[in-house]
Amino acid sequence: MPTLETEVLVIGGGSTGAGVARDAAMRGFATALVERGDLATGTTGRFHGLLHSGGRYAVKDPVAARECVVENEILRRTAADCIEDTGGLFVSTQWDDPGFGDEFLKGCRATGVPVEEVSVAETLRQEPRLDPGISRAFAVPDASLDPWKLVSACTRSATEHGARILPYHRVLDLDLRDGKVVGARVNNEQNGEELQIRAEVVINASGAWAGQIASLAGCLVAVLPGKGIMIAMNHRLVNTVVNRCKPPSDGDIIVPIRTVSVIGTTDTRVADPDELEVTQAEIDEMLDEGEKLVPGFRKARALRVWAGARPLYTPDEVADTRDVSRTHTVLDHAKRDGVGGFITITGGKTTTYRLMAEHAVDAACEKLGVDRPCTTHEEPLPGSEDERFYWLGARVRAQEPVPGSEEIICECELITRRGLIEAIARRRPTGLDDVRRRVRLAMGPCQGGFCIYRATGILHAFEHLDHQAANAALVDFLQERWKGVQPILYGDQLRQARLDDWIFQGLLAVGHLPE
Amino acid sequence: MNEARPRLAPASYDAVVIGAGLAGLTAALRLAEEGQRVAVLAKGVGATHLAPATIDVLGYDDGPVDSPARALPEFANANPQHPYRRLSINLIRASLDWFKSRLCDHGYRGGLDQNFLVPTAVGVAKPTALVPETMAAADLRQGGRFLFVGFRGLKDFFPAYLADNLARAPLPGGASVTTRVAELSPPLGLARDVSAAGFARRFEQADFRESVLVELGRHLMPGEIVGFPAVLGLDRAREVWQELEIRLGHPVFEVPTLPPSVPGLRLYETMTGALRREGARLVVGTTVAGAEGSGNRLEGVVAHNAGRPLTYRANSFVLATGGFASGGLQLDSSGKVREPVFDLPVAGLPGPDEPRFEQGYFDEHAISRAGVAVDASSRPIDSEGAPVYENLHAVGATLGGAVPWREASGNGLSLASGYAAASAILEVTS
Repeated sequence: MPTLETEVLVIGGGSTGAGVARDAAMRGFATALVERGDLATGTTGRFHGLLHSGGRYAVKDPVAARECVVENEILRRTAADCIEDTGGLFVSTQWDDPGFGDEFLKGCRATGVPVEEVSVAETLRQEPRLDPGISRAFAVPDASLDPWKLVSACTRSATEHGARILPYHRVLDLDLRDGKVVGARVNNEQNGEELQIRAEVVINASGAWAGQIASLAGCLVAVLPGKGIMIAMNHRLVNTVVNRCKPPSDGDIIVPIRTVSVIGTTDTRVADPDELEVTQAEIDEMLDEGEKLVPGFRKARALRVWAGARPLYTPDEVADTRDVSRTHTVLDHAKRDGVGGFITITGGKTTTYRLMAEHAVDAACEKLGVDRPCTTHEEPLPGSEDERFYWLGARVRAQEPVPGSEEIICECELITRRGLIEAIARRRPTGLDDVRRRVRLAMGPCQGGFCIYRATGILHAFEHLDHQAANAALVDFLQERWKGVQPILYGDQLRQARLDDWIFQGLLAVGHLPE
Repeated sequence: MNEARPRLAPASYDAVVIGAGLAGLTAALRLAEEGQRVAVLAKGVGATHLAPATIDVLGYDDGPVDSPARALPEFANANPQHPYRRLSINLIRASLDWFKSRLCDHGYRGGLDQNFLVPTAVGVAKPTALVPETMAAADLRQGGRFLFVGFRGLKDFFPAYLADNLARAPLPGGASVTTRVAELSPPLGLARDVSAAGFARRFEQADFRESVLVELGRHLMPGEIVGFPAVLGLDRAREVWQELEIRLGHPVFEVPTLPPSVPGLRLYETMTGALRREGARLVVGTTVAGAEGSGNRLEGVVAHNAGRPLTYRANSFVLATGGFASGGLQLDSSGKVREPVFDLPVAGLPGPDEPRFEQGYFDEHAISRAGVAVDASSRPIDSEGAPVYENLHAVGATLGGAVPWREASGNGLSLASGYAAASAILEVTS
């Protein structure tokens, strides 16, 4: 069996794992990261895209709020290219107690969240689709954060510092020797080959799956996966992050991110983070809550629904997962369970991913008996060196000098043939869904109706795929897409889906591809 | 809409057709050529622009269908709600014959007895009953050696992917197909992103054709049949196609690709041109939203255009607004399905607690067969089976009971049902 020697092995390729790998590599550790699927496909790629100001936690979870305040400010400097500076609003709708606004202001001031009450008239000028019946509004520095860009930038930086990033490598076993974790046996999910990794410290950054990984070393870590559903709407119903000004609940945030806006979320305790069913009742709840913020929400086109599993760490049983603090926990299993060489980092949220990574690598340093300071709060991520936020018009701007001078493969998201091929070449994708996350292929209103045939043709030619691999890429994409679109197919989006059926099943007859 | 403004004086016709897809245009043209004064009211162009302009009558049942004529009786028995259950083989045959003679400039070939097998843009050998002459040389039933031509700058056609699949397509009688590919770089000037219609316009220019012919000549091997993306001209497709065949000395055909469909544009232009010549009025860009009538007789429909409602009166009406894809049926976020023009009853819906869709994309979904149910005279019926209006007929994808994109039956259903509705109207009139 091939063997890989490293100092730090990170398990999990979400924002935390990618952050840990980058931090460890920047501190000079030989580092490897394994992820069972593509990067950012667990919880990170399934969140609403909100970079918290801390406002959401200001009243109920001051520790989490303070962390958000600090990390928000750090990420704006170091991860600007992954952030759109939309700003955020907390608004009291007709259904909310306007008195909560005072509590909210008090909480923000106590935790350091920059906040300012703005007039209803000014708020409605800024966001004219909001229900004109709102009674109060507060501006905070919320923003939207592109999770795929973030993880991609972290792993790129980690690689530049010598780390090995291994997506599609599933952990089969942790190797224990004399009460110490000394490595892991992993399976390359693409070719089925096993790989032995030897490491001095293994950092379990698998989030909602942390309990499963920890159990491989005989440690009990109680992670409650808290399911949250989100629905992407076909355009930006708001251009500012809009939160309801009330105690956190379901369907009370709308985040404008890239070409769409996302409403979220719910919080339901589930047994298995891989079994996240979306029910019609949950969808209806999102739509009804959306209607309270943006009247006519139910008539807008819903593009896709998905669910993510928050990693809520709790040493004790709790009834409501929303009552668990959103801050994170570092577990040194030597102190806790008598298992050496093994650290678990869990809980937390994407906004504080960098701090989580810092704390996890600090713990690794302590284990290894070295003192190497963290620099991720100062060192910008690749692409963010000039501290410029990304903006919605960037792709249009790139096309403007000579319209028609490049082939646009995905019209919804303005992806050029060149951009698509670069994305394919940079990280050889396993399928079109991987390409989707890299460049937002097929994330727009037609959900791949036009670009997926083109992307299949380009992938087939560029990667010299045989017909079976190309067909699998096409068919798998259609099936994966269907999971996210079928629960919310109505109105004009059903019309769009039916056009897509005509293209794929009628015109192309994809259901009859040869074996 | 400003209802306070005075209404325009009503317009009067023998027949009003709502919708300008193949079904609506067929009904309208049949009525107009029999001397009826016809108006076609359409919100926009129809699904002709989306479909490949082949007439698929029945391509797939359990597997590929060789002969629609032989398969249809059993198919209709197995699918009692299907529109083909009502439409006799003779009527379907008559509609195909009528279509071929009306569209004689397109040189449609084939019939009900034997399906062609033609390649789709992903290289599936797809059964279809009628093809325009520009697609006939694609017939795969006898096998053959094929060269597929792609163009730099055309993102809607990938000949290498097509060729890879087609070489492995299962064909009847063990016919075998070999495939090759030629990627050409014709002169596009500064343009890098040219649509199929853009290529079609260029193909109508002699110097563009010349450069394609010269470049392609270097690739051809004896005995090869040459497949192009369906971009060989708009108004002058026959001329372009014939010139390519003659100059290359090889059979040439077109492969339909992503919408907007160039062959569909040609079909639409020919049919609407014929309609105008028959004296019919075509109003595109108008929304029909309301009916006037007494009892179960429809007297007029109210169309909204240019900001003012206008009533179109007629003796008979044809609803050809399509299914969910065209807005002829609508599903709202609470799960309610509506036919928006006349609020007709919609049949074939899953129950309130039943899922509308299955988990597998390629599964058959419960809602797919939803649509308007009609009687033997193509008139929409209520749950009791009685016609909602004695003089309203429904055609095409508005009808329930079919899954046309799976069955490869779309244009066949539109053509036959449009033809049948016109026949029913003409029968009453005479």
